[in-house]
Amino acid sequence: MRIVKSVQTKVCVDGSLMKEFVLDEPLSPEFLQFLAEFGPVRTMELSGKPYFSFEKELFVSIKGFAGDTSVEVRYRKEYQDLTADYFHLLLHYCREGRPGIEKMKGIEESIAGKIKTRRAVT
Amino acid sequence: MAETRLDASPCIYLNNAATTWPKPETVLAEVEKCLRSPVFEHGRSTLGGATDYPEETRSALAGFFHAEKPDHFIFTSNATDALNILIHGFAKNAGAPFHAITTELDHNSMLRPLHTLKAEKKISLDIVPFTDNRIGLAAIKKAIRPETRLVAMTHGSNVLGSVQDLKPIAEYLAANEIFLIADGAQTAGHIPVDLTDIPVDAFAFTGHKALFGIAGSGGFYLRDPEKVAITKQGGTGTDSKSPFQPAEMPTRFEAGTPGYPGIASLLAGVRFIESVGIKEIKRKGNELSRQFIAELAKAKNIEVYNKNPELPIVSFNIRGLDNDEAGFILAKAYSIITRTGLHCAPLVHERIDGGKGCVRASFSWFNTPEECRVATSAILEVAEQCAS
Repeated sequence: MRIVKSVQTKVCVDGSLMKEFVLDEPLSPEFLQFLAEFGPVRTMELSGKPYFSFEKELFVSIKGFAGDTSVEVRYRKEYQDLTADYFHLLLHYCREGRPGIEKMKGIEESIAGKIKTRRAVT
Repeated sequence: MAETRLDASPCIYLNNAATTWPKPETVLAEVEKCLRSPVFEHGRSTLGGATDYPEETRSALAGFFHAEKPDHFIFTSNATDALNILIHGFAKNAGAPFHAITTELDHNSMLRPLHTLKAEKKISLDIVPFTDNRIGLAAIKKAIRPETRLVAMTHGSNVLGSVQDLKPIAEYLAANEIFLIADGAQTAGHIPVDLTDIPVDAFAFTGHKALFGIAGSGGFYLRDPEKVAITKQGGTGTDSKSPFQPAEMPTRFEAGTPGYPGIASLLAGVRFIESVGIKEIKRKGNELSRQFIAELAKAKNIEVYNKNPELPIVSFNIRGLDNDEAGFILAKAYSIITRTGLHCAPLVHERIDGGKGCVRASFSWFNTPEECRVATSAILEVAEQCAS
């Protein structure tokens, strides 16, 4: 899966940045399984549509429907610069399966370290 | 009789407190007529015989709001624009720093100009808290000081749908020579407003909500123009040799070419409401709100913040689900359009939901009980999933 375009950007109530992305193919069950390796994925069957939301504290939250080509990603205000590529990388490494999980965890650890350092300073 | 919708709606639109949709066919036709014709502009054209939209609309507004002087209706681009002209114009005219009062129910269109004046040390400001979703005379009286010159408050809350009883407030303030600016953005077009009966000094309204005009239309009624200084200057098509803005109404506050299509939409919108009857519109709005609230009460994990609204607005949250997420699900899974977040009224939300925001469903004359049934059924389904 790749991002085709960003169709909407807004600043949310808590100051976080929300972006809606259009993907080149529908969000797959495999992607949701991949996502679950990095944090809790909440799912609900609504009106026959499989809704999901993913929350990675201090990083991003992602919500959408499996089978849709659009997805909303929200970035915490304080760490936007550090997490801007996180969703793109999830899509990228998802294609690699198990090796992708390991690589992504390494990247995540690196971002988490930078967030920790920034939090300690502020 | 109400007109039927022009198009088969692909969604259930419950965001009418932001902007009404759809618009009556007569509004669309009037705007098209306005755009297809050469504009009849007083003092700016030799064209004759065409519709004089500003003048006709001022007369229509005077009849609709029971106001004495049509020329005291000023066109603006929306209620925010109107409130800015009134608040800053009043402050400029009043001169020395004075005390002003607003309320927790107010929108940023009121709060931000006032906070700006406060930051510039031109006013001191008190914000009156609401009780039972409303602001009454007693609360206003409590905040008044000897140096109070201005009360700027909403007529109808855009979050709680409560209507403030302005008459006793306006009468008390008039007797004490305190200027009252009322924000009618949510009430104009939803409930009868009689500006002869309610002695507010200024009443701001917008076109794109319940008056069924297009976005970019709105205005205000000002009883005594001398109380508000001129803050905009420019061409009026009159008295062109004078280097200064004319002092007469309505050109005193209208500089530059007016937004004719918006004014035309306002004219047709007011006529549409009169053809249906404002009391009938109010009755239907109340009926839809009651139905909506009664249905939501079936779920234990839905919190409704306004159980007795006078305007067709219902604000709620599903426990365990962020309001933004609830709005997203309703839009994407059910094609139900609401508005989430703070609704530009942060102080209301501080009180009702700790400043996190909520989901707001708001209705217009064109919504139906069936739409309410489908929408509430969807919300209940989401709530049930969250509870399980």
